[in-house]
Amino acid sequence: MSPSISLTINGEARAVALDDPRVTLLDLLRERLDLPGTKKGCDRGQCGACTVLVDGRRVNSCLTLAATLDGAEITTIEGLALGEELHPVQAAFIENDAFQCGYCTPGQIMSAVGLISEGSAGDDPERIREGMSGNICRCAAYHGITIAVQEATRNMIRTDKEDAA
Amino acid sequence: MTLHRPESLDEALSLLGGGAVVLAGGTDVYPGLRDGPPPSRMVDLTRVAGLRGISLRDGLWRIGAATTWTDVLRAELPACFAGLKGAAREVGSVQIQNTGTVAGNICNASPAADGVPALMALDAQVEVAGPEGPRRVALEQFIRGPRNVDLRPSEIVSAVLVPEATGQGAFRKLGARKYLVISIAMVAAVVEVSGNAISRARVSVGSCSPVAVRLRGLEEALTGATVAEVPGIVAGADLPGLTPIDDVRASAAYRREAVRTLIARTITDAMEVRDVT
Amino acid sequence: MPDTLDPHVRFGSNSGQPVTRRDGLAKVTGTATFAADNTPDNMLYAVFVPAAIARGRVTGLDTEAAAAHPGVTHVLTPQNRPPLQGDPSDKPTMFSFRFEALQDDSVRYAGQPIALVVAETLEAANEGARLLNPKYERLTPRTDIDDAEPYAFEAAGFGLPANTVHGNPEAGHASAAQAIDVTYETAPQYHNAMETHAVVAKWEGDHLTLDMPSQAISMSCAGFAYYFGIPAENVTVRSPYLGGGFGSKAIPTGPYVLAILAARMTGRPVKMMLTRQQMFGPVGHRGQTRQRLRLGADDTGRLTVIDHEGIAATSTFDDFVEPAANASQGIYAAGALRSTHRAVKLDIGTPGPMRAPGEASGSAVLECALDELAEKLGLDPLELRLKNYAETEPGTGKPYSSKALRECYAQGAERFGWNSRPRAPGQMRDEDGLLVGWGMGTAFFPCPMFMAEANATLRADSTAVVETSAVDMGQGAWTALAQIAADSLGLPLDKVDFQAGRSGLPDGGVAGGSGHTATAGGALHAAGGDVIRQLGEIAAADPDSPLYGAGNAGFVARDGRLYVAGDESRSEAYTDILARSGGAEIAGNGSASRAPETAEQHAMNAHGAVFAEVKIDPDLCQMRVTRLVGAFAAGRIINPRLAESQLFGGMIWGISFALHEEARHDHKRGHIVNADLAGYHVPVNADVSGLDVITVHEEDPYVNALGIKGVGEIGITGTVGAIGNAIWHATGKRVRRFPIRIEDLLTS
Repeated sequence: MSPSISLTINGEARAVALDDPRVTLLDLLRERLDLPGTKKGCDRGQCGACTVLVDGRRVNSCLTLAATLDGAEITTIEGLALGEELHPVQAAFIENDAFQCGYCTPGQIMSAVGLISEGSAGDDPERIREGMSGNICRCAAYHGITIAVQEATRNMIRTDKEDAA
Repeated sequence: MTLHRPESLDEALSLLGGGAVVLAGGTDVYPGLRDGPPPSRMVDLTRVAGLRGISLRDGLWRIGAATTWTDVLRAELPACFAGLKGAAREVGSVQIQNTGTVAGNICNASPAADGVPALMALDAQVEVAGPEGPRRVALEQFIRGPRNVDLRPSEIVSAVLVPEATGQGAFRKLGARKYLVISIAMVAAVVEVSGNAISRARVSVGSCSPVAVRLRGLEEALTGATVAEVPGIVAGADLPGLTPIDDVRASAAYRREAVRTLIARTITDAMEVRDVT
Repeated sequence: MPDTLDPHVRFGSNSGQPVTRRDGLAKVTGTATFAADNTPDNMLYAVFVPAAIARGRVTGLDTEAAAAHPGVTHVLTPQNRPPLQGDPSDKPTMFSFRFEALQDDSVRYAGQPIALVVAETLEAANEGARLLNPKYERLTPRTDIDDAEPYAFEAAGFGLPANTVHGNPEAGHASAAQAIDVTYETAPQYHNAMETHAVVAKWEGDHLTLDMPSQAISMSCAGFAYYFGIPAENVTVRSPYLGGGFGSKAIPTGPYVLAILAARMTGRPVKMMLTRQQMFGPVGHRGQTRQRLRLGADDTGRLTVIDHEGIAATSTFDDFVEPAANASQGIYAAGALRSTHRAVKLDIGTPGPMRAPGEASGSAVLECALDELAEKLGLDPLELRLKNYAETEPGTGKPYSSKALRECYAQGAERFGWNSRPRAPGQMRDEDGLLVGWGMGTAFFPCPMFMAEANATLRADSTAVVETSAVDMGQGAWTALAQIAADSLGLPLDKVDFQAGRSGLPDGGVAGGSGHTATAGGALHAAGGDVIRQLGEIAAADPDSPLYGAGNAGFVARDGRLYVAGDESRSEAYTDILARSGGAEIAGNGSASRAPETAEQHAMNAHGAVFAEVKIDPDLCQMRVTRLVGAFAAGRIINPRLAESQLFGGMIWGISFALHEEARHDHKRGHIVNADLAGYHVPVNADVSGLDVITVHEEDPYVNALGIKGVGEIGITGTVGAIGNAIWHATGKRVRRFPIRIEDLLTS
């Protein structure tokens, strides 16, 4: 059986034929759809490297069977920037050296985008640390990550206010 | 293996049996899948109508089986649910909370399931749907042991039910890491206070026995206690339900000693929050 | 900052600037291509089956079931595995490890590859691997450090002496007025880079292309060439990005060799990516140690002896031994120094180098033992260290090439507020009633250099390309090395095309030992210098140049112009010089390594001081590091932003070592029970706050041409001991094992 599902990935509607019902969203993106920006770190939901947004919420793509996502909207690291213009979280990560090897970075950034849209942490560093604790960084760039998320949050709030004004 | 995504409970029930595996968020199911043979089929409940969400009817709060931990955190719920919300915030990571479900946490029946003590302290019941119609079973009876629940292959948990109650809930979790951690011990309490003394306390402890337990002897001993008296009562209480073991997370000796502090603090949390509001 | 090292080059235009990472854009947009991100056409997936037992042999594999699973194309076992040209049990170089590539049916540790399944999809390969359902003949595993007798040997780590003695330790013990004799243990730790080991292997005839993370590209080419019987130049390694290395990604391992073999056998590209669980076995770890330290001091606190004995676990079939006891050499001015090592052979995967190998484990114990001695002497821990400050290298008497450790102590203590620390333990509580403790430790790491080569080519348009097979595993090499290269050519950073991260370039050496920036940077510096020298010769010989005849004065290269040294009014743009000379490119090359005579003349180390505050719940014993101040003197800092990140990272590894990391064996069955990231703890973001790094200014004219000492590993050293000492200071309880577990602080 080769069921087909429809997904909107980074704004683009796609019909995806699933060759195997066991395929996770992570392996679908990486091995079949040529979107390897999302990383595999543990394949068990223990590290957060595979974090993507599904219908706007951050989830571990390694713990999501692709077949259960028919009709879902997926955002990955490849779809975050608007053309040349980086998302504020991406820009803040570069500026605050919030990564070293860069492997957990796509997951960290997607998680940060999710965290900011949840709106529960604001720019409180303690809440940001907790909210980002589902993403392990072995290089331990946590200092920069916390500051980057703080800075991006402030920038996004500022931009929202300006837009509203 | 085939995956089914039924849209009604009846349709879901018709797909059960023959080694079918039921899933909702899948956060416990998928890691397990990689260690064993694939099931003949999987039944995804997330599309079943009416299975997601929290509502109150006839004195019972109903947490649908596909309700995620994030849904719990965002729901407007009375103060007695504060412990459940506290647990919701500490299940895995936010990524897990966004897909993992309350019912799934129960059905997985890990001794370290963060949600179970909080639900036990709320006297939760489990609503089971099956070919012979629905039945209800107290959560304490539903979980029989580690990875062992009172659920036949032809049945599905359709909801978790919590009787309406007054009182204030609280939850504390002990882990070797500050977050993203499997519990060494966790305590949930729901406390009702009249004047400055406890009129009714419900206390449940996880990760210190094969299945989380209610501490009924302690609950009785706490009736009439003031905040100042709580630590002494907890310190002197007989807690036969707790049978901690040594594991990779902590020793039994540590758990035995620490859990009393954790219990006393959790009860105090629940009493002090009430004082403030 | 004036530079006297090389008359051709003025520093400061690029070096010393906190520029952001050159690979930053790729890393935040998901376009940085890590090994397993490659999916060439017609590719197969390979999955190995890890042994579930630790000792014995495989007696059965259901190869029929596996082969019959749809999508499975090949199943490799010791019965049908095609031959290798180099024996995996050989050690062709001193950096080689013996490994398992299905040469027989024996099992030497849990997690060892015992079969390989190749399939059209990852899902099919995984299911095929599961269907093999191995049967074993089990022998009693030996995984506890007490399960075997320690034995003596010649070399620890990579060729370090197993036994080193300076002075007369027995006399030191005899003359001590105060002495301590303590034994500590450190746990087995696993690198667990976020990117698990991965390879995409492709053969074209007898040419092999490997997309794989490698900390040592040339060495990897040579290694794989050996096992597959082809010339090293037939091996192409592409390693543009590494998802962390920490010492585990420098050498060929069994899983890689099996994947490459599968590619040769099938004639198709093969991808293998280890699962997280498979990282706990065949790809190295930091060996468990038991260390005994005997310290003696006179009445005033001057050390009469540091006597450091280490026992480390290694595998039954290889001999990498964590050189922990060597951490006591070279740091404190003791009357006598003795470091000895013995090993215990266990049924475990072979340990290997892991971030600060030896130094991390050894420093942890040395710094705690010193704290115990300070307590006994009634001295402040910092005072004890200052009393034993080594002005020259203890034992050898060699002068240090530079040593700003005293400034590190002073600046770190000042920032931390160390002076108000009460001497006795258990004296401080915070507003929430938590026990508060302060501890400190000395950080120390040698400054090795390896061998590296580089090319630089200046083009007619005043842009340049520089080349070296250097690797960036997150330390920031692409950025820092490009800064060095740009300075060596007197060009702005954006005019330099920096080529690295693959074979086919001049050998960039090894990213390890905190020596990569110094070594590869030294080669780039020399290559750029070679270009500028040639350019200067052309200009000085050209009557049409303002620089004509100024060759003897020398030149300064800056912003694409050559200036006469000492006479800034005479200068000319590179473009003009090159235009008149026919517009040809100028190619230069350079190499770097440490001259043996330099190493003879000076002791070379980076130093630092780490101060830690912990808070501990008095009833639950939960420990939290709430402040960590590290002051480090590491010579010239090429990029402060990235160096600070390295030091933060190292210090957090110190938190991890002190409080979290530990692989726990089931000694009855021999496997690791917490072989995943839920069970094997490293800190999460919420575990880390209150970090502060100070880089203390230090100029070193001897260590290398660039004055670089390296910052990759020193952050762990000092930190572990500081945290252990802070826990004692908070509680009065001395825990003599790492990681310190919550139950270790139980009072009853």
